[in-house]
Amino acid sequence: MSNFAGMTTALHQYFKLVRHEVRLEFKNYHALTSLLVYSLATIFIAYISYRQSLDPITWNALFWIIMLFAATNAIARSFIQESRGLQLFHYTFLNPAVVILAKTTYNILLLSVLGFINLSAFSLFFSLSIHDWGQFSLGLLLGSFGLSAVLTLVSGIVSKAHNQAALVAILGFPLLFPLLITIIKFSGNAIQGVEWAINQPNFYLLIALNSIIVVLSFLLFPYLWRD
Amino acid sequence: MKSNMARSWWWKITALALLFFTYYEGFLGEIPRMPILNETIRNLYFHVTMWMAMLVLMICNAFYGILYLNKSDLYFDLVADESARIAMVFGIAGLLTGMVWANYTWGAPWVNDPQLNGTAASLLIYAAYFILRNAIPDDSKRARLSAVYGIFAFVMMIVFIMVLPKMTDSLHPGKGGNPGFNKYDLDANMRMVFYPAVIAWTLLGVWMMSLRVRIRKIEWKNEDQ
Amino acid sequence: MKKNLTLLSIVMISRSTAFAQEVEMADTMRSEGKIYVVVAVAFLSLAILSFYMIRIERKVTKLEKEMKK
Repeated sequence: MSNFAGMTTALHQYFKLVRHEVRLEFKNYHALTSLLVYSLATIFIAYISYRQSLDPITWNALFWIIMLFAATNAIARSFIQESRGLQLFHYTFLNPAVVILAKTTYNILLLSVLGFINLSAFSLFFSLSIHDWGQFSLGLLLGSFGLSAVLTLVSGIVSKAHNQAALVAILGFPLLFPLLITIIKFSGNAIQGVEWAINQPNFYLLIALNSIIVVLSFLLFPYLWRD
Repeated sequence: MKSNMARSWWWKITALALLFFTYYEGFLGEIPRMPILNETIRNLYFHVTMWMAMLVLMICNAFYGILYLNKSDLYFDLVADESARIAMVFGIAGLLTGMVWANYTWGAPWVNDPQLNGTAASLLIYAAYFILRNAIPDDSKRARLSAVYGIFAFVMMIVFIMVLPKMTDSLHPGKGGNPGFNKYDLDANMRMVFYPAVIAWTLLGVWMMSLRVRIRKIEWKNEDQ
Repeated sequence: MKKNLTLLSIVMISRSTAFAQEVEMADTMRSEGKIYVVVAVAFLSLAILSFYMIRIERKVTKLEKEMKK
């Protein structure tokens, strides 16, 4: 019974924290706008550098590289923008595992939205016929999930190491290699419109990778707050 | 493992004896006759074993990371740190030897092969691990954060080098579609040399690691006095 | 059926051995005994490595003993 009560308070805390993150973001929407401008500018740079329509492989790779940089930029600040007092409050009264899950959830939401904005900007500048929009969108969601989950944990680590923002990229990129390889393969297949049966192993691998990442950050994050 | 194991001689002598065995069999032993590979198949004892030693040392790093998180004893962090260092040494050795071999059998020092990419990625991961360690001045905090990162990195790396190559075509044997190259997996003769060779190089790596750990413990004691 | 299988395996074995003999190996080097020169050099380098590792091991042990005193 007490276990159940613990679960409900944890759930309660979780939803409250996610709502808190969203509210914080909208309250100071400069961060949100700067993020948007950052990725649009990057896409525009890609456009003026290539100045032509891209073949599907390049298109796909470029899209995910821009997503990676946007994600790093967006998530690197997820532990930084909070005030010291608020952090202290979080880590004394809340369960750290709940904190990381809430932050990860929020970043997943943020990055998914950003991903679809990037996608529309991308298809505006580089016209490309994606054969299977359903699969591509699924890939976009799964990719945003993985990117956010890894980078949230890494930015949690970095926030304890004097908040050197460059460290997020250095520590995060090597960890993202397996995820990026799989997601690029998955969405490349979606662009070419291959059958679901062929793309299915990649889908399962993505699901497995994402679950491993979330479970690991759930288990490891509490150790970061033992000051 | 604290000090008795590290001081005892039997496993070090075993390592050296097995190394001599590896070199003897590596040059003189029976090997299957295969096209393209020819005599270079002997590199199995001198190149692939580097990766195996690296992998064992990385397991060591993750294991001691978990121990540190549970016990908060800086000794465990020391072992984790030094095993990552020696793992890097073996990883670089494996990469260089592999590039030489690849140049003569596949025609280029670097081919787009999942196995190769995976190991290059693991070297990058451990480079990032050391950058993280250098960024934190406080001992126990450094130990904690690098243990968390090390465990996470280890799992991602295992996915990269164990799971991904199975899903794509690889030039390396046993993965994807590469049957012609597959034969040496079945060669009992070579296996009888390969396994001792892996043990030999791994033990040598562990020996180097334990020496470094002991030296650093002496340094600690010196600082205390 | 069984006969066919044995026939098949015989054909396959004979083909593979015929194939194997075509593969060029360093047989002359072996028959001339020059390979032993390579082994001797490799052993020498390994012996030096072993000697040096043992020296370091001894030195560290000595230092540890001195620290204890």
